[in-house]
Amino acid sequence: MSMNSTAIQQTPKSQINFEQVKKKQRMKNFSKGMLFLLPSIVLFSVFLFYPLARTIYLSFFLTDAAGATTVFVGWENYVTMFTSPIFLQSMKSTFLFVLYTVPITIIISLFLAVIANEKLKGIGFFRTIYSSTMGISVAAASVFWLYLFHPSMGPLNLLLNAIGAEGIGWLTDPSWALFAIAITTIWMNIGFTFLILLGGLQSIDSSLYESADIDGAGYFYKLRRITIPMLSPTLFFVVTVTIINAFQTFGQIDILTQGGPVNSTNLVVYSIYREAFVNYKFGSASAQAVLLFIIILLMTFLQFKFGERKVHYQ
Amino acid sequence: MKKILAILMLGFVLFLAACGSDGNADEAADSATAGAEGTSEGSGDNEKQVVTFWHSMGGAGQEALNAIVDSYNSSQDEVQVNAEYQGSYDEALTKFNSVAGTDSAPTIIQTFEIGTMSMINSGSILPIQELVDADGYDMSGLEENIINYYSLDGTFYSMPFNSSTPVMYYNKDAFEAAGLDPEAPPETFEEVEEASKAIVEANLDMKGFALQAYGWLYEQLLANQGALLLNNDNGRTDTPTEIGWTEEEGKSIFEWVERMVNDETFANYGTNGDNMVSGFLAGDVSMFLQSSASSRDVIDNAPFEVGIAFLPHPEEKERAGVVIGGASLWMIDGKPEAETNAAWDFMKYLQTPEIQAEWHVGTGYFAINPAAYDEQVAVDAHEEMPQLNVTVEQLQATTSSFATQGALMDMIPEGRKIMETALETVYNGGEVDDAYNTAVDQFNTAIEQANAARGE
Repeated sequence: MSMNSTAIQQTPKSQINFEQVKKKQRMKNFSKGMLFLLPSIVLFSVFLFYPLARTIYLSFFLTDAAGATTVFVGWENYVTMFTSPIFLQSMKSTFLFVLYTVPITIIISLFLAVIANEKLKGIGFFRTIYSSTMGISVAAASVFWLYLFHPSMGPLNLLLNAIGAEGIGWLTDPSWALFAIAITTIWMNIGFTFLILLGGLQSIDSSLYESADIDGAGYFYKLRRITIPMLSPTLFFVVTVTIINAFQTFGQIDILTQGGPVNSTNLVVYSIYREAFVNYKFGSASAQAVLLFIIILLMTFLQFKFGERKVHYQ
Repeated sequence: MKKILAILMLGFVLFLAACGSDGNADEAADSATAGAEGTSEGSGDNEKQVVTFWHSMGGAGQEALNAIVDSYNSSQDEVQVNAEYQGSYDEALTKFNSVAGTDSAPTIIQTFEIGTMSMINSGSILPIQELVDADGYDMSGLEENIINYYSLDGTFYSMPFNSSTPVMYYNKDAFEAAGLDPEAPPETFEEVEEASKAIVEANLDMKGFALQAYGWLYEQLLANQGALLLNNDNGRTDTPTEIGWTEEEGKSIFEWVERMVNDETFANYGTNGDNMVSGFLAGDVSMFLQSSASSRDVIDNAPFEVGIAFLPHPEEKERAGVVIGGASLWMIDGKPEAETNAAWDFMKYLQTPEIQAEWHVGTGYFAINPAAYDEQVAVDAHEEMPQLNVTVEQLQATTSSFATQGALMDMIPEGRKIMETALETVYNGGEVDDAYNTAVDQFNTAIEQANAARGE
């Protein structure tokens, strides 16, 4: 009986000890993990989380030219934003712009990557050329396109005139300007996308192709059944990054059109810039920035939820 | 293989370490010089007093300005002015707002005329009136029309520096080819239309007229009709609450442009002034409106003879004249007295006739000090390029009124964007009534919002 009772007493004691040790171990692991994360947490807090919180705070205020808050207005900045025809137009242009640039950039880059993946003599030269736009800054590329788009002296219009067509007001006609910015952006993004996709292609195991060859598979069959599925993680990465980049386009707009003509290229990031640093309305600029954050968050979330199902990881 | 890799890695680490220490050494050197500067400010006797001058002059203007700063630095050995280019006026102002009140703030900053109200409201500037009074400096020697803009209730807040007005540039050779008199440029909206038609008839590859979609030019075309931009006397007697122009005055500009668009004599360069100027130089358009500050550049680069004329006005209105554009120099508050005084000395140096003559001839900006026009450099240049004189005549022919004194309010940059959008709508075949009414609504809303943001 007494033996029994001691046994009963002892069992919970050792259990408690075991729990405690486990807890202690977890705490230790946790603090060790935090220690490793600390540098990035500090950096993120200073450069991302604090500005994010500050932006949300600012979006409920009106401000003076120095950005100091003056009047608390609650949701008014958001209400004004959603009822402003300029902002709604800017949202529409942004989505159109994403639609114009993302698929075309990826299709062209994928095509270039597939042909540059062939083992030919001097292929290094072509790979360098195809990825070369990566080495050009947004400002330099924009100035170059500004010249190409010049209404009377630009090569594009001279070419059109030479074949008897009338010149296009690339950057001055509201129905063409967004298109012109999209062309510029596609051209600039091809280098980066091409390089990533080519890297993805190179890492596909060649034994897959070899066995397909033995089975007598054709070129396009291999492309559809081996290349694209094996490339899907890379493609998924590229699509996500390109969409985020397209939403954040700024440099080429500032140099080529400054949001004009008739606000047709006033994409959302440029609109934020203009509200904050031309109109000195940091409140409504912050409200727009918060909305952009939510949109990109949603888009990325949806992509991971639905797009990733089709991704085949090795 | 692994060994080689290890050596390589080690090499990288050493390389990075070397870079790192290099950076540290630089920083150390920087802080050392900063320290030296600090002590020099303290002693002030044998070391030079440093004045930091932020400006927004690019291209030819920057060259001319640097030459002036160099000449000042070598003219005496007590003050060293460091001129730093900070991008466009907008960009410089944004940078200034983020450093205002700290040690990184400059001693002098150049800001465009429409930034006047935000600078006064910012509370981080020292009105130069205080220095004028303390020093007994006589501001009345400076150009009257320029002084009118920068004085508010008899107080000077900033020192005018680079001032310009809009003028009409035209291609004399093209005028001659079209049978027009190159010495009698069109003066009214209607005459500009007629001349444009003649130009296009004579040369199908050339358009008649270009108006950059630029809010400043719209303001000037309003002022030239004697119209106000904002109510309460352009914001000079009280804070504006709405627009100051009448529908007739505001619409006349849009209708003028629309008529030329319909005649197909109008060249649309959108908001891009550089494209417009290069189009003019290439002979694609025969007339355009632009700041007189470009005159030296345009005259020097054109392969034909360039004429400069007064800003056009509607036929049924008297010409009222133009508003002074450009920028002024602001003294930043909270600097040591020695530094402020050194900066003030530099400001006075800039206003001397010799320097103003050099500045006027080198750029096409006005001489703030009219005595500069009697300097030999200016006389010679006017003889060689009589066009430079037109800009001066136009300013002196301006009748002083609230309209030509120019508007003061902190929302003007936003207002300009609104007018630019409206102008572009018309350039692209939009309805004048729609574009105009939308613009007026947005303009009034912007004024309301700006007043609300100040808590008024």
